[in-house]
Amino acid sequence: MRVLAPAIGFGLVSGAILAIAAVGFTLQFGVTNVLNLAFGEVMITSAYIAYLADAAGWPLWALVLVAAVVGAIASFLLNALLYGPFIRRGIGLFGMLIVALAASLIAQNALQIIFGARFLTLRIPAGRSFHLLGMVFTTAQLGIIVIAAMTLLIVRVILRQTRLGKAMRATATDPALARTCGVQTDRVIGAAWAISGALCGIAGLTFVVNLGSFQSTTGGEILVPIVAAAILGGVGHPAGAVLGALTVAMASELSAAFLDPAYKGAVAFAVLILVLLWRPQGIYAEVVTQKEAVA
Amino acid sequence: MSEAWQFYISTLLVYLGVNVMACWGLNLQFGVAGLLNFAFIIFQAIGAYAAALVTLGPHDPDSYQDYIFGAHLPFPLPILAGAVAGGLLALFVGVIALRRLRSDYQAVVMLVVSLIAASIATNAVGLFNGAPGLSLIPKPLASTLDVSLVGYQWFYVGLVAVCCLIVFVITKRIQSSPFGRSLRALRDNPDAIAALGGNVGTLRIRAFVIGGAIAGASGALLAGFIGAWSPASWDYRETFVLFTAILVGGTGNMLGAALGALLVPIAFLEASRFIPSFGRPGLVEALQWVVIGGVTLLFLWFWPRGLLPERKRTYTVPEG
Repeated sequence: MRVLAPAIGFGLVSGAILAIAAVGFTLQFGVTNVLNLAFGEVMITSAYIAYLADAAGWPLWALVLVAAVVGAIASFLLNALLYGPFIRRGIGLFGMLIVALAASLIAQNALQIIFGARFLTLRIPAGRSFHLLGMVFTTAQLGIIVIAAMTLLIVRVILRQTRLGKAMRATATDPALARTCGVQTDRVIGAAWAISGALCGIAGLTFVVNLGSFQSTTGGEILVPIVAAAILGGVGHPAGAVLGALTVAMASELSAAFLDPAYKGAVAFAVLILVLLWRPQGIYAEVVTQKEAVA
Repeated sequence: MSEAWQFYISTLLVYLGVNVMACWGLNLQFGVAGLLNFAFIIFQAIGAYAAALVTLGPHDPDSYQDYIFGAHLPFPLPILAGAVAGGLLALFVGVIALRRLRSDYQAVVMLVVSLIAASIATNAVGLFNGAPGLSLIPKPLASTLDVSLVGYQWFYVGLVAVCCLIVFVITKRIQSSPFGRSLRALRDNPDAIAALGGNVGTLRIRAFVIGGAIAGASGALLAGFIGAWSPASWDYRETFVLFTAILVGGTGNMLGAALGALLVPIAFLEASRFIPSFGRPGLVEALQWVVIGGVTLLFLWFWPRGLLPERKRTYTVPEG
């Protein structure tokens, strides 16, 4: 118990962060079928701008807002200026993956050129700690969980209660049919990239707050657990992505507590590969066929 | 030509030959068979390690480096061992990843395999000595050949050239064989191949294994030349350099792949070494990666078929 409860506590915090990111990833991937390998770099870009705002003395709530706006703009532009034109030009699936990997490499190194390679830390204090059922949370960690819950609630309301949400789900299911029914799919796709980016930005901020310090290459390996969580939850299913995120995070933290911590990252890799092999359609029993990217 | 220049030129030629071999292997997988192997560099790495293990000699517990299964195999067996290791690893990964997965997920799995391999090699110190990697790998035939330092350099250039020739003949023959035609058909339309009774999974795995073996052999040559090899030198970005080379040269064209190997890893990365270092440490390297990524995007946009496009093959049915 002495090892188990704290590990579950860590899992809840990193699961909350991963859930924000995975929901953002799955929303965009579900609607557009573009595997955005530069997602981690958008996260870290938002974290850098939030760091600048933090250094300028902005309050915490404003940092969350800044991260969301920066993420939304970066993600929207990534599609409008890079992915979209390539898709409209009729580039194949593989070409698109190479474009995405190139985007990730360029963004990662551009961040290093702009901000340098040193590690940065936000001024947010961890706060006093709370004990709960053997788990220990700092104020910052509880804040992260609250931010995650609120963000996911807002996303749920947007998807379920608004016309945009309905249009988005329609576009994800069948873009051609949605267009025929009068849905302006190009706007829906732009909105999907922006909403996904906002989630990505918030995930980036909470991620670096939880991590303590970050640098330009921090975005590289975050992608694996995010993709694992999104695919485990079934691409395009936000609720599934949340469940997938908690599963991946718990698996990583528990294995770190009971096995060798050096392989904490490898657990997410293993989960991703196992899911892809045995259940590529995710936990929802829906047959997913390969779709072409849309923009 | 002064000795220093001879040394430099011969070193570049060895790197060029190794990269040309690797590009041909990757071209067989990507350009001909349509497999997006983002883990290509780890097959080169495993070949290098295998070659190192069979030349370093039995493991001495007092030594500063840890590894498994040491042996002293005579030349050219280490290069073959590299090819076998690359092929076996490709068989293992291929059987897991290539049979049922949709192709964009295959690419993701390859990217993940590349990350896992780096993590294992760094963390499992007993296997390949962890992050420092292996060093003092004996050079092939260095003790038997009685030549000067520069003389040995030129001998190695010849060795790499012979290996390139062998790989060229093999891959060329494969590409013009019925098997090669099936691979191109597989790339262009896998459903048609399946409908005609071809086994898509087996075809993919065969192309993957051959490419992996070529990568392994090229890695063995590189390890023998440098005499050291560490996990840091084979992260997934190195694979991206080879992809850029093929895209620049011309996907599916062997001459194009060789031209790409000359232009991207050799001409660009080596030429930028002469730029005086400026700014923060690591700045020049970061700029290099931005340029490599940018070049890839430019080529995909303006010249998606590369400088030397693959020629369109037409076949005539013999009359009779």
